[in-house]
Amino acid sequence: MFEPFVDVVPSFFGWLNQGPLTLTIFLHTVIILPMIWIYRQEKKRIENEG
Amino acid sequence: MAKRSVWSDNRFWQRSAAWVTGFAAVLLIWLTFDTSAQISMGTDADLKNGVTKRVPGPTVINYKITYEMDTKRGHEIPVIGEKELFFGRDDYSEEEAGALLHLGKLGSQVKNCMDCHTLLGNGAYYAPDLTKAWLDPAWGPEGSLQAMTGKETKEEAMAEFLQHPSQYPTHERMMPNLGITAEEAKGLVSFLKHMSSIDTNGFPRNFGKIQGAVHGK
Repeated sequence: MFEPFVDVVPSFFGWLNQGPLTLTIFLHTVIILPMIWIYRQEKKRIENEG
Repeated sequence: MAKRSVWSDNRFWQRSAAWVTGFAAVLLIWLTFDTSAQISMGTDADLKNGVTKRVPGPTVINYKITYEMDTKRGHEIPVIGEKELFFGRDDYSEEEAGALLHLGKLGSQVKNCMDCHTLLGNGAYYAPDLTKAWLDPAWGPEGSLQAMTGKETKEEAMAEFLQHPSQYPTHERMMPNLGITAEEAKGLVSFLKHMSSIDTNGFPRNFGKIQGAVHGK
């Protein structure tokens, strides 16, 4: 599931490429989680306007 | 009035898109700088001190390069070993080696090697991939290509072939004579030797190992 980091030069982007899960977790963290946060804010705003 | 949904609300999508676009822009700029650092060429001092660089300095032509399986990484990597004579010398200075590589690089562009060959993933597959050509066993001391040219060393055999490709039977798609001079051939062979020492994460896969393929037959 998680592959060991074996790149010749350590790099953040090398870490992203070590296996499918690292990239998936990263993209969920930076796209899905903020979108949930934005969703909640907008929901609150719409309720307040209503 | 019907209840308004967040999913059909413009502001939600605008803010989401702005966040993803902004973050991706920052990530790509960072990636650009990270890549520049990773592909920057090493120096003669790095080679002497055993500093591992993805792209070694030009004086790597003074050293023996082997292609060895790295079980941890799951593919072969070029390993820079002891000093080795290259056209009778193993003391090329950084300037001399750099000039040879430069000549070879310009030569490869002038002669349009990429019309048929692939270099570091760029080019065609009409003719063999040249990324690791220097490490092809066929050019080694026991190899059929070196034997074909009747030369004593790998570099002389490759240089001889480059100058008179149409004289040597390779396979059905024979290389045409491109009018490469002896000096250009020397530059091209050093260019190929340096290229083979670049850590390409195992590209091309299984080079020289596939039975029945163009290489390693």
